[in-house]
Amino acid sequence: MFARQSVARVATQQAYRHGAAPQNARNMATLREIELRLKSVRNIEKITKSMKMIASTKLAKAQRAMNAGKQYGIANSEILDHTPSETPAKRQLFIVVSSDKGLCGGIHSSVSKATRRAIADTENPVDADSPIMVIGDKSKAQLARVLGKNLALTFNQIGRDIPTFADAAGVADLIVKSGVEYDSIAIVHNGFVSAISYEPTIVQVANEHTFKESPGFRAYEMEDDVTKDLAEFSLANAIYAALVEAHACEQSARRNAMDNASKNAKDMIGSLTMQYNRGRQAAITNELVDIITGAFSCLCLRLVDLD
Amino acid sequence: MSALRLLSSAAKRTPSALALQRRGYAEVSDKIKLSLVLPHQAIFTSADVVQVNIAAATGDMGILANHVPSIEPLRPGVVEVIESGNISKKWFASGGFANVHPGNKLTINVVEGAPLESFSPEAVRANLQEALRVAAGNGSEESKLEARIEADVYEALQHALGSK
Repeated sequence: MFARQSVARVATQQAYRHGAAPQNARNMATLREIELRLKSVRNIEKITKSMKMIASTKLAKAQRAMNAGKQYGIANSEILDHTPSETPAKRQLFIVVSSDKGLCGGIHSSVSKATRRAIADTENPVDADSPIMVIGDKSKAQLARVLGKNLALTFNQIGRDIPTFADAAGVADLIVKSGVEYDSIAIVHNGFVSAISYEPTIVQVANEHTFKESPGFRAYEMEDDVTKDLAEFSLANAIYAALVEAHACEQSARRNAMDNASKNAKDMIGSLTMQYNRGRQAAITNELVDIITGAFSCLCLRLVDLD
Repeated sequence: MSALRLLSSAAKRTPSALALQRRGYAEVSDKIKLSLVLPHQAIFTSADVVQVNIAAATGDMGILANHVPSIEPLRPGVVEVIESGNISKKWFASGGFANVHPGNKLTINVVEGAPLESFSPEAVRANLQEALRVAAGNGSEESKLEARIEADVYEALQHALGSK
């Protein structure tokens, strides 16, 4: 009877030990896992922090360029303001201005969405097969999914650094040479509202035909017919103004995105450190309990023996 | 009696003086709003100036206030801005468009430009020689044409520096 009991006790003890050992092992494993995660989150924080610093310095430069570029755009659009078109354009050419690089919040999807909205707009309807030209790989990928058949021309490698007039002139040249037919041009880009916000804006640019149609345009005197030159030049100017403004928006958005990422990483590091320390404490307590229980049972056994 | 005559003569003189003054004042307010901008720099933004002399493709011209709306393509040349008090400043512009708008506004979009005094005549001469060499060389038609345009700009620049 007694023997059977002791056997049973041994069995339960073994069962307990079997149960305890994996639990203990799992505990150690989680500790190591937490340690690894902590390390990787720390690395990510370092990366996002340095990206934020880079974006901050670039933002200052981009904002300076944008201020000059904006004035250039305003002077350019003066003539467009005086020559409004009477008939709404049916077939519009959309020029979407974004860039090739990500990690900057919703900059690219903001212009893509604005383009989709403008094409689906029922108040100012445009042809469903209006051509779209995209500057920047990110928006190209987004628009290729929904409006793939409308894409006429795409550009990349622009907007890595502060855009120059040569970039804009090159883009305008290719657009003119592409032979795509359109009644008017709409440039979709992100407008700079403040250092922390931006919103998609659409700028209308007239082409040679719309210039000639407009009654406001007849008020202007010209010696030779320079309408074509004027249309091409104002297209390049408008693209330049859009490029520098979009660039400043992108840098500010990247700065904010990286700022948030660093903050989140810091929060995560805090909670992971807490979890890690708690786990370690628990493991130490467990081990102490084991030792004390062992020592105590030994003592008890010896006391029983002495009896 | 003589004092009275003096007074009356003084009274007679005042209206004419007033008229003169008013005309003077009107002249001062006869200004055109100028925006002279480069892609990377805004030189003037809606600033009041008296006169602007430009080198238009059809010939040199001066623009005063209340000019008729017109569109003038620019050739490489000097843009001279005369502000109030006869202060004149000169820039060399490589090309662009000058548009006079209804509402007494003048916008000049220039692709590239700099103050005339910041050019070095030696560098201009050296670059002109280089451009002429390429234009006369046996490169592609396109590069020769580009060099020809470049040479034209340098020639205009040299002329502008010579007549300064």
